[in-house]
Amino acid sequence: MTDKNTSSKYSKEYKLSISNPKLFDAIKMAIAILIALAITFVILCLISKDPINALKTILLGPLSKRRYIGAVIESFISFAFAGLAAGVLFKAGGFNMGAEGIFIITGAVVAWIASSPVTSSPILHPILCYLGAMLVGGILMILPSFLKAKFGTNEMVVSLMLNSIYAGVTAYIVRTFIATQQRGSVSSKDYLASARIGYLYEPLRISACFILLIIVTIGLYLMMNKTKLGYQMRLAGVNPKFAEYSGVSAFRLSITTAVIAGVLCGMGSTTQLLTQTSYYTPAQSLVGIGFSGMLLSMLGKNNPIGIVIAAFFIKYLEQGAAILYFVDNAVPSEIVSIVEGIIIMLISSQYFLRRLRERQLLKEGLEEHAK
Amino acid sequence: MLSSIFSTLFSMRFLVTIVRLATPIVFAAIGTFIAAQSGIGNIAIESIMTFAALASVLGSYLSGSAWVGVLFGIGIGIVTVMLIAFFSMKMGANAMLIMIALNTFADAVAIFVLYLVTGEKGTTASLTTPVLGSIDIPIIKDIPILGEILSGQYVLTYLCWIIVILLFIFIYKTPTGMRLRACGLNADAARTAGINVEKMRVLSLVLSGIFAALGGIYLSLNYLKIFSRGMVSGQGWMGVAANGISAGNYWILILSALIFAIFRAVSIIFSSNSAIPTDLVNAIPYLAVFAILTIVSIVNYYRVKRGHVEEQ
Amino acid sequence: MSETILKLDNVTKVYPNGTVANRDINMEFEKGEIHSIVGENGAGKSTLMKVIFGIERPSSGTVTYKGKETDFNSSMDAIKAGIGMVHQHFMLIPSFSIVDNIILGDEPKNGIFIDKKEAAKRCQELSDKYNFELDVNAKVSTLSVAKRQKVEILKTLYRNAELIILDEPTSVLTPQETDKLFDQLRSFKEQGHTILFISHKLEEVKKISDKISVIRNGVSKGTYLNEELTMQQLTNLIIGRDLDNDMNAYKTNEDFHGEKALQVKDLYMERNGKPVLDHMSFAVKAGEILGIAGVEGNGQQELVRCITGLEETKYTGEIDICGNVVNDLKIKGRRNLGMAYIPEDRMGDGIAGALPISDNLISTYYDREDINGKIFMDTKAIRKTSEDLVDTFAVKTKSIDTSVNSLSGGNIQKVVVAREYNTHSKFMIAEQPTHGIDIGSEEFVHHKLIEMRNAGAGILLVSANLNEVMSLSDRIIVMFDGQIAGYFPKAQEVNESELGMYMLGARHQTPEEIGGALND
Repeated sequence: MTDKNTSSKYSKEYKLSISNPKLFDAIKMAIAILIALAITFVILCLISKDPINALKTILLGPLSKRRYIGAVIESFISFAFAGLAAGVLFKAGGFNMGAEGIFIITGAVVAWIASSPVTSSPILHPILCYLGAMLVGGILMILPSFLKAKFGTNEMVVSLMLNSIYAGVTAYIVRTFIATQQRGSVSSKDYLASARIGYLYEPLRISACFILLIIVTIGLYLMMNKTKLGYQMRLAGVNPKFAEYSGVSAFRLSITTAVIAGVLCGMGSTTQLLTQTSYYTPAQSLVGIGFSGMLLSMLGKNNPIGIVIAAFFIKYLEQGAAILYFVDNAVPSEIVSIVEGIIIMLISSQYFLRRLRERQLLKEGLEEHAK
Repeated sequence: MLSSIFSTLFSMRFLVTIVRLATPIVFAAIGTFIAAQSGIGNIAIESIMTFAALASVLGSYLSGSAWVGVLFGIGIGIVTVMLIAFFSMKMGANAMLIMIALNTFADAVAIFVLYLVTGEKGTTASLTTPVLGSIDIPIIKDIPILGEILSGQYVLTYLCWIIVILLFIFIYKTPTGMRLRACGLNADAARTAGINVEKMRVLSLVLSGIFAALGGIYLSLNYLKIFSRGMVSGQGWMGVAANGISAGNYWILILSALIFAIFRAVSIIFSSNSAIPTDLVNAIPYLAVFAILTIVSIVNYYRVKRGHVEEQ
Repeated sequence: MSETILKLDNVTKVYPNGTVANRDINMEFEKGEIHSIVGENGAGKSTLMKVIFGIERPSSGTVTYKGKETDFNSSMDAIKAGIGMVHQHFMLIPSFSIVDNIILGDEPKNGIFIDKKEAAKRCQELSDKYNFELDVNAKVSTLSVAKRQKVEILKTLYRNAELIILDEPTSVLTPQETDKLFDQLRSFKEQGHTILFISHKLEEVKKISDKISVIRNGVSKGTYLNEELTMQQLTNLIIGRDLDNDMNAYKTNEDFHGEKALQVKDLYMERNGKPVLDHMSFAVKAGEILGIAGVEGNGQQELVRCITGLEETKYTGEIDICGNVVNDLKIKGRRNLGMAYIPEDRMGDGIAGALPISDNLISTYYDREDINGKIFMDTKAIRKTSEDLVDTFAVKTKSIDTSVNSLSGGNIQKVVVAREYNTHSKFMIAEQPTHGIDIGSEEFVHHKLIEMRNAGAGILLVSANLNEVMSLSDRIIVMFDGQIAGYFPKAQEVNESELGMYMLGARHQTPEEIGGALND
């Protein structure tokens, strides 16, 4: 005990040891990543002629050229939004998996606004796209959560069915209202130039979306950890019966979190379309992002900052895998999913490395006893 | 035009289509049901079907025998559920999260393996694989209407309905079935009666994995004769939904699965008709599951409100 | 000379988290005796039973059954050896028939199928042999608590148990049902069964036992013949001091003419077409404790759910908290009017186990001004509040950041009570407030309830523990079958057997007498 420690006897003790739960989690994560990479290496040994170089390319490739790292920065943003959306839902104990469908259907909204001459202002036009997608996303995400909160309907199945329904509706809307005959597959007209989002710092492809992500992440972090809403989410996420007993309205909470998640999905789809595409192809442009968001949320343990870091990490690996595929097409880029899967399995295992920690706790307990 | 739709709806071919489309959904449904009976919500059915669909085709290709392919598929199904069992029972992970993760990267893993074997990321069309065929039942096949439905179906369809009956007997008439149900209804009671609850749950998970795998194998090795990416397309989830609707009643489970199959058949018939936009027609089965699931839960909600509660 | 059936030698059980539940316990049980094991909650009785029944393995020492050292891997081995156990919480499957419950795990077979006919025949014969008066084809969900207990006992007899362990079997029974059970136990004894009776109710132990063994703090305090012990000696052995049983001594305010904290008028609710709450009317005034006695399952849980606003099924009648009709309000609205609630299901409703103690100490008033800033919650104020509560309620923990599920049951309950205490509510529902916690914590909780009462709160105490109801309450209501069967305006003047008659439904007061419960 130092003199500085003037707070009361029940205060936190920050120990540099695995008995400290936060540090233990970090160590767990690091070891999980190492194990996942080791397994990846074994797989690479089986399928690649030069496994050492292959692993090196995946891990260091993105750093070799500025435009590679730029591509990571540009592509991880929409991905991170999907992760944040899932994080908000999971944190409050929801199993609404509607992000995938919301991404796809809000894509149609973005494509419609972006391809219409609603304004010629290069600032206002993207903003209108964002607002439209956020509005539609926020509203449509409510349905599964509403049904679950009000009638106890299985929100997982409902939201998955809605994903397929929304995909059909989106294809229909794009085909019927904003399609162009120029291309083979069903896709929208080209966006107008005013809707495209430019770079603030071109060499690293940093755009205003990057700043938006940072602001949203900090906002969500504060919301989850410092506000009443965040407190309600924690209660409901850990023990919904206790939340109900304590007077947290499960109904209001699940609607609120669904709206927030839907809005985040809208942000994600707009970002993706206006920075990565010049027209919208429903069967391609946004497919899979919503689902990947759930994996990100698990990697980041529902913590907004963790989720954003995870998004960067995964996109970084994907970029590395893409570079590897370019030089050695024996290794498909899906190998990243395997890395991701292994890490998720390991870090969600409570007993992973538990013995190590218990031994330390016992040791510290005995030491304290000896005093 | 409408009349042509109606004539198809009431034709023999429509019934045959339903039986064909029902097979994977019924497999998925009984797979979910048997796990739920022992107290485990197996929501990984969709991913198990995907894995098994691919594994069976590859197994068949590598061995040159379709039945070895079936064993491959079943093996992968068992490996997947054992993975779930290991992480949730031995590693203290949240089973729900593990299964969500499995479902989410199932496609990527399948594509990864597919690419390694075929060099393509879409289908196994480039592989020449022995597949499973259909069975003509002598005598029955000559009966006018019945023959068309009962005979000439795919091998795994017959297996499916045999399993449906055997599973009913297993769950409700045998000691092991009763013990398994006890684990789901009151695990502590089962434990004090000397039942090894964990073992029972692993058993039910393994059965669940086998049934789901058969659903996937049917799709690739029997029905479409190839594996193609995204081919399971929610049929596993329809099984999960059927289990939700059944509320533990076996025959309602089968009935729900059949109803979902009818809507799939309807969607297929409509999609060959240009009057209605295909994009929307494709969504019909999902809309049906959504609507039925929602209605059932609303009805239950008002039942509880009016004071109908059953002690499990 | 009688023969020894079970012998414990230096049995010690240490749990992985370091808790020593049993230390060097030596006991001997003779065939054909009724042998009680007594001790406070948390003294180590349950652990010892688990060791005997094969659920836990002893860390050291030996258990010898019928002359052979046991090596049980699970309760199955104990059952095979001839030991049966009736658990405090029934281990039954309500949707199964009595037969299915009895045969589960040891089913008569016909080929690969269950031989249902043979099973029913054997169960019915067994039931008739012991005069249990059960229709074995009935579903367990339709049975009363006492009948369910009979099914539990039949389960052990079906497996030919010679030694039957009964864990707190009377906690769910009325005094009259208890007497019947005791008659049955005596007849078992005559037929050569050995009964191991676990209880903390000393009067019952004195009534039924041949021998009594005492456990305190995990250590055996010896085995005595029933007749060589007085009640006083037994008490001293169990807690090491005289029991502080009379809570009335701590009551300062005897004037119950305050405002009504709760008024329930004509409350009626149906479940599956049958009334579970049948036109109940009563009131709790500020500064009093109204106790609700009754056998579990007579509508108490539903009553509490209706009052707290957690009930989903529709009910009629009027509920009034601190002068406001609250029928249309959910739990939060009712809390805002001044309701606090200590729930029965501590782990399920009362805490979020994975969250820190501090989060658990503010959950029911997390939106209160004193712990909130304009946008953010006031972390400092929350810490201060939590630390004060942990101090006042003597919660044993090193830090308020520890997750609450690492605490013992008693300390978790202190967290729950501390939180509800800190709502400063005018009306408190205490539902089984000391169920399953150690005697020290129990006494602490009782004192806190009295303190709140003295400070002017109206408390509705719902408890299956008759002693608790009688020692804390100012007035008592007995519930039977969803109705108020009896109302006793002076709790001190009631005796246990009288309450029992009402709990069992053998007596029922007139509407006029019951009408007094409204306390107008």
